[in-house]
Amino acid sequence: MNEQKVNELNAVKARQLDAARPDAVAKVHGGGKLTARERIAQLLDPDSEVEYGSIAAVDPDGMGRGWIAEQGGVDFVGTVDGHTVIASSTDYTDRGGGYGAARLERLIGLAYQHRWPMVLFVDGGGSRARHPRVGLGHIETSGPIGRFQLFDGMAELSGWTPTVAIVSGPSYAGHASIAAFSDFVISTPGSSIGMGGPPMVEAALGITVTPNELAGAEMHEVTGGIDLLAADEHEAIAAARRYLSYLHDTDPGPAHPEAAAIAGLVSDEGPYDMVPVIEALLDHDTFMELRTAFARSVLTGFGRIDGRSVGVVASQPLVEGGRIDESAAVKINRFVELCDSYHIPLVILVDSEGCVTSWPNPDELDGSAIVEPGVNRYHQRVVTTHQHRRVDAVVVEIGKARGMTLHVMAGSLNARTIPLQHLAWPTKEIGHVDGYSNLRNVNAVDDVIDPAETRTRIARLLAHLPDRVAVRASETAKRHPVDTW
Amino acid sequence: MANIDSSSTFLNSRSGRQLSEDPRQQIIDARADAWAGCPRARPRIEGLVDPGSFVEYGLLAGRTSDVDDDGPSDGLVGGVGEIDGHPVVTAALDATVVEGTLSERNQRKLGKLLYLAITNRWPVVLFVEGAGARRDDPLPPPPIVQYTRARWDVLDGLAELSGWAPTVAVVTGDTLDAGVAMAVACDTVVGVAGASLGGTPEGGGQSALRPVEDHALRGDVDAVVDDDGAAISWVQTYLHHWFGTPGDGRTSDRHDTVASIVPDNRRRPYDMARVVEAVADADSLLELGARRAKGMLTYLGRLGGIPVGFFANQPRSPRAGAIDAAAADKAARFVELCDAYELPLVSFVDNPGYMVGPDAEREGIARHHARPLSALHHRTVPLYTVQIRKAYGLGPFAMSGYGSSRGMPTLRLSWPSVESGGMSLEGAAYLVKRREIREASSPEEARRIRDDYAEDMRDVASGVRAGRTYSFDDVVLPEETRERIISMLRRWHRVLPDSKKHPVDGR
Repeated sequence: MNEQKVNELNAVKARQLDAARPDAVAKVHGGGKLTARERIAQLLDPDSEVEYGSIAAVDPDGMGRGWIAEQGGVDFVGTVDGHTVIASSTDYTDRGGGYGAARLERLIGLAYQHRWPMVLFVDGGGSRARHPRVGLGHIETSGPIGRFQLFDGMAELSGWTPTVAIVSGPSYAGHASIAAFSDFVISTPGSSIGMGGPPMVEAALGITVTPNELAGAEMHEVTGGIDLLAADEHEAIAAARRYLSYLHDTDPGPAHPEAAAIAGLVSDEGPYDMVPVIEALLDHDTFMELRTAFARSVLTGFGRIDGRSVGVVASQPLVEGGRIDESAAVKINRFVELCDSYHIPLVILVDSEGCVTSWPNPDELDGSAIVEPGVNRYHQRVVTTHQHRRVDAVVVEIGKARGMTLHVMAGSLNARTIPLQHLAWPTKEIGHVDGYSNLRNVNAVDDVIDPAETRTRIARLLAHLPDRVAVRASETAKRHPVDTW
Repeated sequence: MANIDSSSTFLNSRSGRQLSEDPRQQIIDARADAWAGCPRARPRIEGLVDPGSFVEYGLLAGRTSDVDDDGPSDGLVGGVGEIDGHPVVTAALDATVVEGTLSERNQRKLGKLLYLAITNRWPVVLFVEGAGARRDDPLPPPPIVQYTRARWDVLDGLAELSGWAPTVAVVTGDTLDAGVAMAVACDTVVGVAGASLGGTPEGGGQSALRPVEDHALRGDVDAVVDDDGAAISWVQTYLHHWFGTPGDGRTSDRHDTVASIVPDNRRRPYDMARVVEAVADADSLLELGARRAKGMLTYLGRLGGIPVGFFANQPRSPRAGAIDAAAADKAARFVELCDAYELPLVSFVDNPGYMVGPDAEREGIARHHARPLSALHHRTVPLYTVQIRKAYGLGPFAMSGYGSSRGMPTLRLSWPSVESGGMSLEGAAYLVKRREIREASSPEEARRIRDDYAEDMRDVASGVRAGRTYSFDDVVLPEETRERIISMLRRWHRVLPDSKKHPVDGR
């Protein structure tokens, strides 16, 4: 072969690497961040990465006037802990990280065909700003039949294969959509996710806002817009790797040092913190809590029992007596859909004072709500989700399960959704308590157990479930998408 | 428990009738007593179903098992009837009998009826009122929240029906706790003016009740009507869409106005309801969620006599038709409802994009916006879409799905007034002329700079270009729209799939 051609190719490729653009790299590092390539290198197992579109170029105005190297992002297939993962990162140094939709669509096609998880670093302002007359223009009526485009592709992946978005900068419009469609969204402080960036807001509303005032990660952490706020990109990448690890079982890990003393973590005297109870139930140091600052009266997260991945849904008696408001119902609903999609059995710990509804307070301009006892469609939709889930659940009633809370947390305990086992601790409240039932019959559970037995009990039950890989292999279609809210 | 041998001494506590010694007469009397009970529930059911069609279940099932029981039909009248010949399961709670409370027995009755609805794919209409679970129920716990094994309980049954056959709750009076749970477990909730929904604090105390109008604002009640009669005809009209009952297909008198609704001035709002009314069959529209998210209109209606669902942006709304979190939820739920019950969708699109700004973000638009996109993508019913004016950013996708793959509309039309782009012209003006606009001497001057640029950038022939680029299947005149959609709609045949596609999301 003509050596010159190979050299030319290598030269072109070399121009794409960080080493060829020290100024851009210095700028990224100066902001305390990683370059697109560094992010991928840190995410994937060493020497596992295969690049796609390394020298892709774009025709910026669609007029054929000249092609320029597409540095808006990098795309790879590689492995995380030995399991295949697709990884893509926008590159904010290149014209604001506008994505080349065609490249992501290619990756989505691969993810769909192979059911490979995707990790997407999405910071940027959406599709590239172009002259409005030649830009996105009129939406095209059709593309290649059956081929996924960016957003329908993301919608199709939802519930079929896991998607993780890492947002460590401003992320607006289409970028925010990619995050919205992702199962798991990790942000870093100072980043923002919004439908329109500050210039759009200024144009639409005539107000000037900073990205943080507009849609900062700290706001999203409280309102449920993200699943996890990580300290920086390193921690975000570690969290993504950890999240993906729960798709696979491992060898049994050691029990928590407090495992035998779990009963002592529950107080008869008043509210207690459920987090240590969860940790004592799981393999040591395996609890990964999601949406920690949102709807804090319920807890959701992943963990392991004897190495088997589980999704934990638990009341948090410490916060509002574990009452379930609209946000708490939303938090449970999405988590149950997530676990159902990816075959992660549920462990449900119930100790809740009841369901409540929130109403705007006309006397308070700060948006604070009036909270009243009651249920609405937010609660009901979780019951419906449980009714249609197929993944198993072990239910442990610890204390109160007032009103409709047991249904919202665990589903109707009848028919399609019977728990693998419905357990109670001796602390379970029985008797006439509220306007939902007049009597709680202790015979309604499968067994009342010593709290110290719970971990072993759940481990034994989980051992009866079919292997996740076999279940996945048997599926020809997804169960359902994971609701973005 | 009553002693049967000495039963002749019992008097029915309501009618005062003495128990006959003839078993046949005993039943005749007991029935008469039961029929005389539930004076609120029975007329509602009689009004809903065809005369003579009602087969009652559990007429004699009482509050107690006593021969002289004082709780006729245990406060819940239920059975199977027909609406214009179509079977429907219906039940009504009666607040005059033990405060309309839910008991083990009346919920067992309802569970049985829901079983019939599930196995036969019959719709369910529940008239709901009352104080929730019965606190002094002498029987085991009511299955509305607790369970007895091996059969559908009520919440299960309603959740199971979601997306399989329509369920409608009519809130006829003050309803508390588990009664509310039952109502909101239905796909569709109709509130009768004057009725309220609420909850009771733990440990008892004053219940918090709010009128159905408040719940409609929040999206937990889909329609508020004046009285029982209006509720019944609303439900009948609603269910005829599920039955697939053809309409007469008459063109509306307002169709003549269709070409003059959209103002020449591209920035002037107009009432999208007029467009829907002009295009839909005469007198065919039934609005859902009229009080919620006013930027998004949703209706069941007919086109050429065929039942369809319409959803449309409302430019004449506080956020000018921009899709906010509530509007996105409303659209997503409506698409799911129509898809589950196999009703084709027709959308009228005119939005400046998704809502932006700190308020919209706090409401969660960055996540909620994906819900209609997902609902449209996963639907299988045909979608016919008409782009009327603005199509900017991702907004149009929320109304008309994507270009290809699973979400492609059957027909994508636009009107000559269409304009589209990655962002609005005014938005583009801000990006390009930001500095000039900021440094303008007055707000008026800033607006003039923006508008001049927008006008300069405006594609004066955007309608033609929409056709040239094959962005739409056709660019039609407004007056041609109705016939064009009907023509394609007639070639579609409604076939209910053998299994449930998906439940209908309550939110």
